[in-house]
Amino acid sequence: MALLNPNLNLRLPLTAPSQSQQQLSWRCNVAVAPTNLGTRLGFGSPLSTCFRVRCNAAAQAVNVAVGSGTPVRSTNILVVGATGTLGRQIVRRALDEGYDVRCLVRPRPAPADFLRDWGATVVNADLSKPETIPATLVGVHTVIDCATGRPEEPIKTVDWEGKVALIQCAKAMGIQKYVFYSIHNCDKHPEVPLMEIKYCTEKFLRDSGINHITIRLCGFMQGLIGQYAVPILEEKSVWGTDAPTRIAYMDTQDIARLTFIALRNEKMNGKLLTFAGPRAWTTQEVITLCERLAGQDANVTTVPVSILRFTRQLTRFFEWTNDVADRLAFSEVLTSDTVFSVPMGETYNLLGVDSKDIVTLEKYLQDYFTNILKKLKDLKAQSKQTDIYF
Amino acid sequence: MSSAAAATTANTALYSNTRFSSELLASSINAFSKTHFTTCSNSLRPKRNTRLILVPRASPPSDSAKSTEDSGKRKRKKKSDDGNGGDGEEGEDDDNRLQLSLDDVNPVGLGRKSRQIFDEVWRKFSGLGQISRTSRTDDEETLFIREGPMCEFVIPGAQNTTVLVVGATSRIGRIVVRKLMIRGYLVKALVRKADQEVVDMLPRSVEIVIGDVGDPATLKAAVEGCNKIIYCATARSTITGDLFRVDHLGVYNLCKAFQDYNNKLAQLRAGKSSKSKLVITKFKSPSSLDGWEVRQGTYFQDVVATKYDGGMDAKFEFTENGEAVFSGYVFTRGGFVELSKKLSLPLGSTLDRYEGLVLSVGGNGRSYVLILEAGPLADPSQSKLYFARISTKVGFCRVRVPFSSFRPVQPDDPPLDPFLIHTLTIRFEPRRQKPVEVNAETKQDLRSFKLILEYIKALPTGQETDFVLVSCSGLGIEPSRREQVLKAKRAGEDSLRRSGLGYTIVRPGPLEEEPGGQRALIFDQGNRISQGISCADVADICVKALHDSSARNKSFDVCYEYVAEQGKELYELVAHLPDKANNYLTPALSVLEKNT
Repeated sequence: MALLNPNLNLRLPLTAPSQSQQQLSWRCNVAVAPTNLGTRLGFGSPLSTCFRVRCNAAAQAVNVAVGSGTPVRSTNILVVGATGTLGRQIVRRALDEGYDVRCLVRPRPAPADFLRDWGATVVNADLSKPETIPATLVGVHTVIDCATGRPEEPIKTVDWEGKVALIQCAKAMGIQKYVFYSIHNCDKHPEVPLMEIKYCTEKFLRDSGINHITIRLCGFMQGLIGQYAVPILEEKSVWGTDAPTRIAYMDTQDIARLTFIALRNEKMNGKLLTFAGPRAWTTQEVITLCERLAGQDANVTTVPVSILRFTRQLTRFFEWTNDVADRLAFSEVLTSDTVFSVPMGETYNLLGVDSKDIVTLEKYLQDYFTNILKKLKDLKAQSKQTDIYF
Repeated sequence: MSSAAAATTANTALYSNTRFSSELLASSINAFSKTHFTTCSNSLRPKRNTRLILVPRASPPSDSAKSTEDSGKRKRKKKSDDGNGGDGEEGEDDDNRLQLSLDDVNPVGLGRKSRQIFDEVWRKFSGLGQISRTSRTDDEETLFIREGPMCEFVIPGAQNTTVLVVGATSRIGRIVVRKLMIRGYLVKALVRKADQEVVDMLPRSVEIVIGDVGDPATLKAAVEGCNKIIYCATARSTITGDLFRVDHLGVYNLCKAFQDYNNKLAQLRAGKSSKSKLVITKFKSPSSLDGWEVRQGTYFQDVVATKYDGGMDAKFEFTENGEAVFSGYVFTRGGFVELSKKLSLPLGSTLDRYEGLVLSVGGNGRSYVLILEAGPLADPSQSKLYFARISTKVGFCRVRVPFSSFRPVQPDDPPLDPFLIHTLTIRFEPRRQKPVEVNAETKQDLRSFKLILEYIKALPTGQETDFVLVSCSGLGIEPSRREQVLKAKRAGEDSLRRSGLGYTIVRPGPLEEEPGGQRALIFDQGNRISQGISCADVADICVKALHDSSARNKSFDVCYEYVAEQGKELYELVAHLPDKANNYLTPALSVLEKNT
């Protein structure tokens, strides 16, 4: 809604009476006319209107008296998107390092019990309902935001409107640090809606004046398990593209570890960091590696990138398949031979991390396969026993 | 095929709701597009689905709506697979097909299936257009995240280890509980009252036991089923009564309850486990008394001794009612009588694999001195003597004497090496006897004694610590109460050391509430530390110590790294930065002295 209603003043329902006089006037000026920043949000088909968005966080309007009252302990953190692949590792890491972790989770019939089992506190709120946010931020020192909308829902509800509301709210409630995860190269691919939204959010965060760290990520190793490793073990077909794109996958556990190192380093405030794995891999290379480690060949179903692109173009013609098109938008990136990787040496130095401690993809997958194959062996041994007894 | 089936099994129940659709999916793709796609061929063969199912420990988080929707179907499918899985008879196969086809006719089911097929194709297809999105089903996380191999913190075997955390709501305890949970341990928490506030503070799947360390009766239930104990409770005030109850008596009570529970277990598994004791002597027949000799002696070697000679006598005999009784009197001042035997252990057993003795004895409640003679067998002149005092009760009791409690008779001798022990002596002397209060009428003569011996056994040693106690270094306590606090804490430590349990005593500097793992730590023995330490680091040490053999039977101080003061830098202090890559605890502790 922030996008569609020009000059909308988002008013947050703040509970503290002292704050109620100060209206929040975070303005997201949305104008059809081209502007200098010119990030192009390509929602909708090419035929529909293209918005040009300028993020204009009016920082001068908000100077809530922070510092009076009970000081918030720096170990109180809120993790947004805690049930996700990265989020849960952040939560585990935080708990292990002794933080008091609160997780913002969408209300759902079966709540995220595993977070509670680990010792985190779960609070229910929905980023797409801004009125639910402020209560969750009470007593929080640092917000770690690793939320991304689910694939099946419209991309801008959570990723844009929700994030804007969250950042505004965090600012208004005096959150002392905000960690935001973005995507590497998001500034170079405005044609991909998710990346464009991330880029806009980065800018919005910067303009908001809140104490923040932005971390751009490349790809998660954990994602490769479901995509390649499991299908190979099950002798099912593996779907891959022939794209030349290389991605420097990184272990989410390493990301979590580095995040907390960065979080505690005051020099990192306001910085834009990019975390990348030790080496960039193409899809084909990953599949070959999995095959070697699993000791069996995969049934590879190679889908040419051109088909993906074609499907995207096709789906963009229809209003009701727009979300579909958005999800395929990454194929635009795939066709270029972009490398999703950055040299990490400087970051390591900055954070004081030894590059030897960062897990490589070979090591990660090898661990996975050794473990899983061992487990399979155990299961087989067990199954023989059950054959005898039953 | 078999490996495929097995692979499926590994991921098991996780996939049972999607497997069906993906098989159909493969076949459908096969049908409509052979040009671009190569597909797997084993699609529609009836797959032998094993009965082995990795049951997730807790119900899979979230997604229950979906699973209830599917569960009916899943059950049906499982049932048919079971029938099929047995031996694959033709008749049964036919039955299955009939069942499946009946299902297939159902229009609702058809619709659902086709939707599933489409979803699956779409998931895979659109997955290609993603950068790093992971579409993980919620079931999968059980395998990969909670218990699986891909989890950073999970410790192998943690699922079979139950840890009792005492003081689970304390500053350290809270973090200890969380750390244990993410490592996959089963955790019990001892709390005094199960208030809502307390319950909310603990992770949901922690088993809460209500009890008080000051009340031994309530501890029985707490230690039930526990393998390890982490004690991070501390008195809430510095009132002497509180200190005594929590820091001293509490530790004593808990050690006792835990030891009782362990002994009960060992009895159940007699002779089977590596934890069973080694029988040194069992006095069950007259012949079992062979080799024991009774001796007399005095501490005064000179002529003066004769002046106080009141006479002494002792005998060791096997009575008619089947008891081996060592009895007698010592009226001579400075005199003693003793019962001694050269030990002959079963072949292949050496006492260095044991950590103490346990005696089952009865009698009239005198105290005795146990003396061990250790040295090379070939050369008796090199033998050294070590002693430990034991007290008995009226009636039967068991006395545990860890080897670590034996002190050399000559103070300069090295500590006892159990490997070299060759002679065991039980000595009675009238000195330092306390009267026993049984019936006041009967006049007790503390110079006479009666000791009924049932058995002497050696306690097996363990690799790991059983009891981690968080004590304190005394820094940061208000000076006026420091004495009392330390006294209670030290008394608690002592009762733990005497218990014979494998122990680790951590004495942190003043606690700070900040994230752990940031600064190097110093491990030291001897009360020299001067810095604070974060609660999270203490918690980390506690959790790591559970499985670290170098932490067993050690006490140490720990604090943040600091630059030693002038003149004190001679001491070797070991600093270690806690990190994922290294296990800092082992190298840090391996240089520290044992049995401290």
